[in-house]
Amino acid sequence: MLNIALPKGRLGEKVCRLFAKSGYEFPGMLDNNRKLVFVNEEFNLRCFWVKPFDVPVYVERGTADIGVAGKDILLERNPDVYELSDLKTGYCKMSVAAREDFKDDSQKILRVATEFPNIAKNYYAGHGRDIDIITLRGSLELAPVLGLSDVIVDIVETGTTLRENNLHVLSVIAELSARLIANKSAYKFRKEIISEIMRRLESNS
Amino acid sequence: MLRPEEKAALSLREIYESHGYSFYRMSRFEEYDFYADKKDFFASKAILTFTDINGKLMALRPDVTLSIIKHAKNDSLQKFYYDEKVYRVPKNADSFHEISQAGVECIGSLRDEDVRDVIELAVMSLRLIAGTRRCILDIADAGVITNLLKGNEKRDEILKCLAEKNIHGLKRFNAPENLILLAEIQDSPDKALNVLEGITDSHCLGVLEGMNEYYDELRIDFSAVNNLNYYNGIVFKGFIEGIPESIISGGEYDNLIHMMGKDSNSRALGFAVYLDLIERGSD
Repeated sequence: MLNIALPKGRLGEKVCRLFAKSGYEFPGMLDNNRKLVFVNEEFNLRCFWVKPFDVPVYVERGTADIGVAGKDILLERNPDVYELSDLKTGYCKMSVAAREDFKDDSQKILRVATEFPNIAKNYYAGHGRDIDIITLRGSLELAPVLGLSDVIVDIVETGTTLRENNLHVLSVIAELSARLIANKSAYKFRKEIISEIMRRLESNS
Repeated sequence: MLRPEEKAALSLREIYESHGYSFYRMSRFEEYDFYADKKDFFASKAILTFTDINGKLMALRPDVTLSIIKHAKNDSLQKFYYDEKVYRVPKNADSFHEISQAGVECIGSLRDEDVRDVIELAVMSLRLIAGTRRCILDIADAGVITNLLKGNEKRDEILKCLAEKNIHGLKRFNAPENLILLAEIQDSPDKALNVLEGITDSHCLGVLEGMNEYYDELRIDFSAVNNLNYYNGIVFKGFIEGIPESIISGGEYDNLIHMMGKDSNSRALGFAVYLDLIERGSD
């Protein structure tokens, strides 16, 4: 049995459809129910929904042999796994955004609100900038509006939410999309099936 | 009753003894200064320290290799094995762990046959721990990668992609064409050495030729390349089916012994077996 971890949510649903299109159906997986584990008997695959942030943990520790995670999560967690493929879906950008009237004062410590403290730290370390990281769990746009932070480091897909809150993108840190990852040990011993899944997903993405 | 990792440690010691390696026993402590200027060579920078009764700042050993090098003489060839605890903060952990580690170090005027012997020992260690399960030793040449990335501004990013088999990332960072070709190799030496020959000249992987007895386990795979500050030649990582991370890690680390004052023509090669991982694969 090959174990596959998929991220619960919008990206996971897209990826689940990509698996189905590639010939790997998991009956009931997209139904509105509370089931977490789904089996494909034909290819002996078991697929489960986990929190997007946890996909790399399941794969790195070998509970899942492969998984699909957004590049944002991989950059943040830096897991010791193989990143086999860019599935070319779920495109967005890790960006720095601020209020329209924001002016950077390099004499002050920059206050950065984010759900991705490691990505923010690495980005500003590369610029030699002193920052104060404020880790939040969502509704990032509020932080600069209310004056909690000067900027935010967050995922931007279309930019609509930013515009509605009078924020704009200052710079792009990384291009993001869904990536197929594999446990390093599992990949060595189950290379045929993993390579076949990778090949089919790539030709259908 | 011995636990599985203790049994394995005893059997490994027998194998290493039979290949002419002698047991190296060391103190659990070293002076902190001994490690302070060599931090570049460690993946984990944290060192567990305490003040001895004479006021000296001491460290609980984060690594065995350095202590062995320190005590090795500038002799023709010395072969040691060890079975010790080290103290490190593993990746993603937030406290120090005590880690059981066995391994071998071969220091001095190494010949090709000594290199082959170390690789043989690594495969034998894997086979012993694997039992009926399958095992694989990934081998690469760190020197070739160092040369390909000389002066490359994206060196760190490219190395990360190489370790991840991330071909799309290598292309995105404009990695050298030959490096991408190397990243795609993942075969046993009988197939891979021919492919390799067409890309680059690697003497240190050439020594694998003729080790047919081990071709089932040996794979030329450049995702094994890590820490170019430490490794300069052959580098390898061993995997066992059912154990989620590499249980053996090793390679040639000449720069470190030169920095520590050994003869400039002497070489050093060794590997560590992470015995704590044995229990991870037992269920």
